[in-house]
Amino acid sequence: MLDFIIILPLLVVGAGAIALMLLASMENLSEGSTALVSIGIFAFAFAVQLMVSVSGNVAPYETAFSGMLTASTFTKVAGLIILACGLFSCMIAQTYFTQNKFSSPEFYSLMMFAASGMLLLTMAAELITLFISLEIMSLAIYVLVGYDRSRIKRSEAVLKYLMLGAFAGAFFTMGAALIYGGAGSTRFALISKYLATNSFLESPVLVAGTLLVIVAFLFKVAAFPFHAWVVDVYDGAPLPVTGFMATGVKTAIFAVFANFIVLDNGMKGVWVDYLFYVAVFTMFAGNLIAIGQNNLKRMLAASGIVHSGYLIIALVAVGTENFTGGVIIFYLAAYAAATLGVFTALAYLGGTDERRDSFDDFKGLAKVRPYTAAAITIFMLSMAGIPPTAGFMGKFYIITDAIRADQMLLAVLGIVSSILSMWYYLRLVIMMYFKEPEESFEVSGVSLAPVGTMILAVSVFAIGFYPVFL
Amino acid sequence: MVSTILFSAFAVLAVAGAAGLVLLRHPMNGAMSFIMTLIALAGLFALLSAKLIFAIQLIVYAGAIMSLILFIIMFLNIGEKDLPDESNRWFYFGGGAVVIAPLAIFLLKVVNKLPSCEATIVGDSFGSVKGVGMVLFTEWLLPFEIVSILLLVALVGAVVLAGKREGKL
Repeated sequence: MLDFIIILPLLVVGAGAIALMLLASMENLSEGSTALVSIGIFAFAFAVQLMVSVSGNVAPYETAFSGMLTASTFTKVAGLIILACGLFSCMIAQTYFTQNKFSSPEFYSLMMFAASGMLLLTMAAELITLFISLEIMSLAIYVLVGYDRSRIKRSEAVLKYLMLGAFAGAFFTMGAALIYGGAGSTRFALISKYLATNSFLESPVLVAGTLLVIVAFLFKVAAFPFHAWVVDVYDGAPLPVTGFMATGVKTAIFAVFANFIVLDNGMKGVWVDYLFYVAVFTMFAGNLIAIGQNNLKRMLAASGIVHSGYLIIALVAVGTENFTGGVIIFYLAAYAAATLGVFTALAYLGGTDERRDSFDDFKGLAKVRPYTAAAITIFMLSMAGIPPTAGFMGKFYIITDAIRADQMLLAVLGIVSSILSMWYYLRLVIMMYFKEPEESFEVSGVSLAPVGTMILAVSVFAIGFYPVFL
Repeated sequence: MVSTILFSAFAVLAVAGAAGLVLLRHPMNGAMSFIMTLIALAGLFALLSAKLIFAIQLIVYAGAIMSLILFIIMFLNIGEKDLPDESNRWFYFGGGAVVIAPLAIFLLKVVNKLPSCEATIVGDSFGSVKGVGMVLFTEWLLPFEIVSILLLVALVGAVVLAGKREGKL
């Protein structure tokens, strides 16, 4: 019975997705009401997730479904972030579809299916379960990326993502098979037990297996050298999907990545040396790509690479004993709030066919729409890591954690990269405040996205101050 | 001894079939060569005493799924003139091989380092319908159930991407 309590939010989202899929056959279902229903389901699942387990740092049930899933405060908060991402992405979608007409109820249904895959992914403690949840999430996202069939850019994005995603999936399967061959089990608990008595480096099969699994994870979070796809795919995907991908997928993968890497101290010790270089190259490659972009969506995609780099720093610094993952989850929450905030603002400013999408299109926004411009500024400052926003606190924790783990060089490089990233974040702020407006930024249609922008702007500060009030 | 010969034969057939899938130009030939891979894999499963998987591999993959794919290929009636120009494909194959080579060498080294072990006879219930069912519906219930979500997502996705869309709204 306890097993079912930890997957209760998952059941809510899954049941919602299936109900919406069945409702899609109804003729007179309006677009607005489907969006509201899905927002309601996400909100309900969020509330359920908030209530299911006891608070505090004790894992209430170490394992569930005979070791297939694990539940802890870490997975619980990761689930909360994912459900919140789903909720705000639905708000974005509702507004977006008042201006871009290619919606159908299945869109929201697939969004919920993707969210249920992500929730499973955060809790997965077994390689086959992990693979199936990874594929549930990826398949739903592939379809969402290619949802608008009328434009060639979308088809290009979905083809690139599908091909490379299948490649990553194949790598993962191969890795899982090798790990099974080495440790005799696909369960994290038993692999960990095996590694406690056998040295990691003496088992080449395990080394190769974990390498392939880590490659698959790095691909999914767009870390160097597997970052090339991300800019085109994020740019080609419809706006709500890009927002959901950038935040939800990243949260789910980093949660499972952290759960995987803390399996064994010896194993982590081997990979940390390589993840060090991955983190450094990811940050600087991402910064280089982002500085060159003129399109806002492409810039956000590239900045997503940089944020993956910071999160890999957090992974390098994480300890295998008494793992709580607080640093990782805090940064993910801060990143998700700021990124989704920009996307909610873009949803109503973007206009038909995402007309306004480059830096120049936002000239003088502050004069015409001061509140939106202020909100976007808050999100940009949070991503750049300027106090007192959540982004600053997140970076602060990551860097202090890296110093605690004797990764001084990594901490310094993180700060350097953070200073570099101000160039492209503040560029938008300068465009909005110090240029004369060229157009009136008229938006059509009633929408929920401005509400989302305001909530997220407040939560950027709320998340930032949360540790202070604790 | 016999099992080693059989293993090598099936392994060679499986790899040859997969290579054929990539190298043959006409989709029909590719599909036929892929069937060879699937049957060879069924043989490998049989060598591992996985009776149920052996049967499922033959019936579902080599039988049902491949005939569906062949049906679609025939339905499209692809002729020589419909095929894209792939004159420089060897160039791409070469590039791909260079990229994959380090990984392949690494994996070969790993496989060579595997400790040798004697094959032992597993119990009668291993791989039987009952044996697999017992494990699948007790310990492995969760993965089994979530596969249904995966299939549902694939179904909805296929309908959304390929289905006729009326001008709703």
